[in-house]
Amino acid sequence: MTGVIERARTLDEEYGIFNALAESDDSTGGGRLEGVAVSVKDNICVMGMETRAGSRVLEGYRPPFDATVVKKCREEGALILGKTTQDEFGFGTFSVNTPFKVPLNPHDRERSAGGSSGGAACLTSVADFPHLALAESTGGSISCPASFCGVVGLTPTYGRTSRWGLVDYANSLDKIGVMGKTVADAALLLSVISGPDEYDSTVSQAQPEDFTEYLQNDVEGLRVGVPREYFGEGVDTGVSEAVWGAIKGLESQGATVKELSLPHTGVSLASYYIIAMAEASTNLAKFSGLRYGLHLPLEGSFDDYFSRVRARGFSEEAKRRVILGTFTRMAGYRDAYYLKALRVRTRVIEDFKRAFEEVDVLAAPTMPVVAPRFDEISGMEPIQHYMMDVLTVAPNLAGIPMISFPCGRVHGMPVGLHLMADHMGEGKLIRAAHALEVRG
Amino acid sequence: MKAVIGLEVHVQLETESKLFCGCSTDSEGAEPNGNTCPICLGFPGAKPKVNRRAVEHAVKIARALECDVRPRFYFSRKSYFYPDMPKNFQITQYEMPLALGGRLLLDGRSIGITRVHMEEDPARLVHVGGGISSSLYTLIDHNRSGVPLVEIVTDPDLASSREARMFLEKLGLILEHLGVYDPGREGGLRVDANVSLEGGQRVEVKNITGFRAVEDALNYEIIRQESMANMGIAVERETRHYDAETNTTSTLRRKEQEEDYGYITEPDLVRIDVDDAWISRLESEMPELPDARIQRYVDEHGVPLFQAGIIVNTGLDLSRFFEECVGLFPEPGMVANWIVTFLLKSLNYEGIGLRESKVRPGTFVELLGLIGEGTITERLARELIKEYVGTGESPRSLVERRGLASAGREELGEAIDEVLSDNRKAVADYRAGQTRALDFLLGQVLRRIRARGDPVEVKRLIRDALDSE
Repeated sequence: MTGVIERARTLDEEYGIFNALAESDDSTGGGRLEGVAVSVKDNICVMGMETRAGSRVLEGYRPPFDATVVKKCREEGALILGKTTQDEFGFGTFSVNTPFKVPLNPHDRERSAGGSSGGAACLTSVADFPHLALAESTGGSISCPASFCGVVGLTPTYGRTSRWGLVDYANSLDKIGVMGKTVADAALLLSVISGPDEYDSTVSQAQPEDFTEYLQNDVEGLRVGVPREYFGEGVDTGVSEAVWGAIKGLESQGATVKELSLPHTGVSLASYYIIAMAEASTNLAKFSGLRYGLHLPLEGSFDDYFSRVRARGFSEEAKRRVILGTFTRMAGYRDAYYLKALRVRTRVIEDFKRAFEEVDVLAAPTMPVVAPRFDEISGMEPIQHYMMDVLTVAPNLAGIPMISFPCGRVHGMPVGLHLMADHMGEGKLIRAAHALEVRG
Repeated sequence: MKAVIGLEVHVQLETESKLFCGCSTDSEGAEPNGNTCPICLGFPGAKPKVNRRAVEHAVKIARALECDVRPRFYFSRKSYFYPDMPKNFQITQYEMPLALGGRLLLDGRSIGITRVHMEEDPARLVHVGGGISSSLYTLIDHNRSGVPLVEIVTDPDLASSREARMFLEKLGLILEHLGVYDPGREGGLRVDANVSLEGGQRVEVKNITGFRAVEDALNYEIIRQESMANMGIAVERETRHYDAETNTTSTLRRKEQEEDYGYITEPDLVRIDVDDAWISRLESEMPELPDARIQRYVDEHGVPLFQAGIIVNTGLDLSRFFEECVGLFPEPGMVANWIVTFLLKSLNYEGIGLRESKVRPGTFVELLGLIGEGTITERLARELIKEYVGTGESPRSLVERRGLASAGREELGEAIDEVLSDNRKAVADYRAGQTRALDFLLGQVLRRIRARGDPVEVKRLIRDALDSE
């Protein structure tokens, strides 16, 4: 598969896809992923391959171990192709918050590929060889770029896949998931990487499933819920129409559709960002230039040294999140922010649990808009970046599985339908998305 | 002025592997940073996993201190930047610790235990060319990173430095009995002491190693605070560092510099739910604790309370030694008496502990047996025990090799006959009523048998011989 590596290098030059690329084909073949190139988001450790999670602070870091998901792909014969571009540590929605390459949208290079798994979605779209992508979502980082690039992005239930070897953003929210051109591709890769792992205590003990068994083109009797709050202000009319078109498509294939309410949707964004930043600010503390990654000349005290390393190694958004996250857990503010956000999170979960008593899947737009142009993005305030996640953070907070499926185009740009299911309900998502895919 | 003292005791648990990874905790003689892995070095992407055995040890400690083990508990991240923390946060317990509200009885007085929780040990820092602030540079040894610690926090119930030391000695003994702690490991038990005088602010003295050092540090700190109060200077709330070499404390940070640890729930670990059956099983595995052991020596073996106390409180080695001896020589009273009165004294004289000495139960009871069967006198045994403690040589073979066995009846009879016939004047004096003559004759007989006999018994035999002459 040496030709694949060469082809990937060419695509990288065109689209800004890779932070690191395999030097040679060391795949063994002989498994479910024989002949398949698997790309790995930069924040997932690949043994011996530079792993920076999009950050200068990890420059030169070559992990001494494979992430569990990478190991499983190798065991199924895959070629580990390279590390795909992303926002630094996953801190972003457009893959622009990084000192390294920014991936371009394959449908319009003036536009963002989305984020934070932008490189993964871009490559999934443009690859003209057998390829599957390992991506990761904390608050929507698989769904968003999948939607913007018009590919299938599947974020599993929290705990379905091992996080061993994932450079942490917010551990209670991070999920390694998959991207593919088709639902079948996504189902295959999820089957490979899911399952218990002794190296991650938060992984479900549920035995791995073969998710390709759900590719049955049958949604007869499937109960689809449409949450009112997900079609409110800020959602582009064209996007709304495309999504409703897909929902009607499911109905025409035998699904039942009903509108319902998820009342805590409005506060989920705040809860999400507080928890994510609180955890992130502790995770980033370890990058002090002593054991791995960026090193500077050892001068001054420890405090001086690591302050210089962090000042140099982190870009602006990382610094912002460290400061905000530290604030939310400081004595005197902790109750009002961090602990309150945890309580809101419980409410958000209860919203979904109630909804899933009535319906099998929820359907909504993945993103409120199609991929924005880079000149639009550069004019946005940080809060406007965060607002882009308004439709994806609630299911991520709840840890439920979700799939973004391309369901049409607006102004020539892809629109994503977001399907969500109850915990461990990936099968239902695959079933519904597959029916839409077959219908075409 | 009355001192108010509370202790935070950090105990390194005796487990094979570290708290969150499989690295060995035994780093004696290991290369610095040899016992490390991506988990205890905090590499990106590595996740902790809880060592079940360490949790079990911690539960046993909590139960031995009569604490309430919580039905569920979890770990938290305590953030602070220091080179001994590979992740710049420590995985510890905060809102939901393992156990709350226990006590330890100290001479009938109840010392409250606020909480017991688990956490990971930081790395060991070696300051080269000076102290903590004056060194040229500092080396970091992560072999200690992640070693399981249990922190035991007491209520402010201790009233003196002496009492603090006694508390620690008793706690150490309980931990040793539980088999969760190795008293021989350097730095295996470290103490932060909070001390205030009535009406004054609380001062925390950090990281004191050793029971004696805790007493010394508290003595220094109490005197310092008293002098300040006498001079009308307010004692401020602060954290101080104890320097064992100079036996002084110095300011580490003042109240306004206190760290804000910004605790969050450790999101890489799941909550641990405790079920009663598990606690019951652990309780059933718990060995007899020191107080119960002392009582058993009294009740079952008839050992005097003060001797039982000395044997048990000296350490588990000595209790085990006593019990083995009793198994071999079923006169517990004599065993206890000889241990407390003579063995400990000789060990002390030699300046060694039981463990390093060559004293073994089998040979020790030989000595008692030699007395019991009359082969040697108690007086001789008291002399021999010194030599025995030094060399460990079997007392029986020692007695044989040196011909120290008490003179037999025949030999003694001959000696008496000879002495009586050689000293007729003394015999006559005795008959004339001079009792001192009998002592003279006794001396002559003892010299002839080279003192291998019980003087009282020999004296009786001489008198018998005189009477029947």
